[in-house]
Amino acid sequence: MYPRASLAVLRHEFRVMLSDPSTAIFVVIIPLVLVALTKNLFAIQLSEDGFASANGSEFAVPGMAVAFASFSVGYAGFTFFRDHGWGTWDRLRATPASSVDLMIGKVLPTVTLTVVQLALLFLLGKPLFGLEVSGSILALIVLIVVLALSLSAFGMLVTALSRTMNQLNAIGSVGGMTMAMLGGAWVPITAMPGWAAAIAPAIPTYWAMKGFQSVILEDGGITDVAGATLVMIGFGVLFTVLAAWKFRFEDAKVYFG
Amino acid sequence: MMKTVGSARQDGGVLYIEGLRKSYGDVLALGGVDLDVRAGEIVALLGPNGAGKTTLVSIVAGLRRADSGIVRVDGLNALSRSSEVRRRIGLAPQDTGLYPVVTVRQNFMLFGELAGMSRAALRPRIDEVAEALDLTELLDRQAGKLSGGQKRRVHTALALLHSPRLLLLDEATTGADVETRTRLLDVVRRLAADGSAVLYSTHYLAEVETLGSDVVLLDRGQVIVRGGVDELISAHATPVVELTFEGAVPDVGLNGEASVDGQVLRLVTADPAATLVDVLPRVRADALQSVEIVRPSLEAVYLALAGRRYDEADREDKREDTNVSAS
Repeated sequence: MYPRASLAVLRHEFRVMLSDPSTAIFVVIIPLVLVALTKNLFAIQLSEDGFASANGSEFAVPGMAVAFASFSVGYAGFTFFRDHGWGTWDRLRATPASSVDLMIGKVLPTVTLTVVQLALLFLLGKPLFGLEVSGSILALIVLIVVLALSLSAFGMLVTALSRTMNQLNAIGSVGGMTMAMLGGAWVPITAMPGWAAAIAPAIPTYWAMKGFQSVILEDGGITDVAGATLVMIGFGVLFTVLAAWKFRFEDAKVYFG
Repeated sequence: MMKTVGSARQDGGVLYIEGLRKSYGDVLALGGVDLDVRAGEIVALLGPNGAGKTTLVSIVAGLRRADSGIVRVDGLNALSRSSEVRRRIGLAPQDTGLYPVVTVRQNFMLFGELAGMSRAALRPRIDEVAEALDLTELLDRQAGKLSGGQKRRVHTALALLHSPRLLLLDEATTGADVETRTRLLDVVRRLAADGSAVLYSTHYLAEVETLGSDVVLLDRGQVIVRGGVDELISAHATPVVELTFEGAVPDVGLNGEASVDGQVLRLVTADPAATLVDVLPRVRADALQSVEIVRPSLEAVYLALAGRRYDEADREDKREDTNVSAS
């Protein structure tokens, strides 16, 4: 391990990310539009679930935030495929930086992007949609960070399993979308068919949504979200172990074609 | 002094390779290569496409694993102490590798820091390397907006930043214009003069003759000879007269130094003019397609040792590469 190397890669990845901020803008602006469109719909569902005073943003904001955070699955992998396409991957590997240094330097910017995206949506939720968080802000922050880590770890697993950019796009997009849908980010679990609700706990985003609901609607604190947090950490560890097992740094990845 | 095949020296060499073998499935890429490069020495690794040059360079740089053999850099085992070894190496891979969306300076900063340089030490060094390769004006330009030759210079400069003990250049001048090529070769010579060892892989015969370095001739994964350009030429290269016929090669009544390769008659001779005067009256002019004299050069050395023309080997091996990739 060589922390200065991780830091150098991390700084560089931010620079590359900021050279084209369209992804970052997309994952903040579009969910806001979708919240505005769906908020009233979710107000009805929340009322049926026993939250009569809810205005719908209590589900729409975390739901859209989680759904769009799931796009980070593909973005984490993209940073690796892009290096293969630019011919910089072998250059990086020929430096004294270890595989772990490179991995940390490349994944942390994606985690940061996801954290910032989630945090921004919650911050803008209050002035734009009247979102009230009844519980602990600290618990909310913990959930945001753990979710970002877990999704990025899943992104690494998808990257490890993909040989081509097309595979990454397919697995990342479909996987991310499925994870968001089955986890209850698009539709509340109470409104989902029984079979879908039954498999939802096997999806990390389910635990994120459960935690967010606790903090936003049920005055939840750190102890109330501890279970959801631990399960997401468990998923993150599992994805990381599987990714480390399957990732072959020396294998060529096909950027396009 | 000319070195014989398999005579890698362990004493004082920056790079020491012994018995290096690597196969890709059934395809043998390296069949037991021995090689050494000392401080201040430039060794040109010459061979047609597919000879095993990139595989060799990649193994030394830690990008590929050898099936067997020893690689040491500054006495350190490249396999077991790869991070320390990579700190001593500067690699410019065959394909240009730059981050196109950031500036040239930002590319330099990243790879300089990854090589272990502090940001404070990097700034003056970037200016120094940029000046040597005429990149000063381009430092704050986006790398993706440079011309091909400029990108090639930046690509090579990235390998020089930390003044590596061992510089590995894999086909550094491929696609480069004359000016870029001249500048790159000048910088390589200067780096060697400052004490770095340079392993310079290329398939351009003329470039090696210009560089005036020691030459290691690689063919089908084997080192077939090593030595200085002049000594190799004087030891192995005799002029060759090649007569290409429209159809089958006629019997011209010569023995010994004559050989037939398809429609080509090759005559190894110390006096090409006399040989032509002797042979031409014996063939029908309308059957003769072309006459060529291959002068003593590395091309003739390759022909003498590998038994085939260098450009033919280059084409053949490219075809083999394509078949391997396709299969």
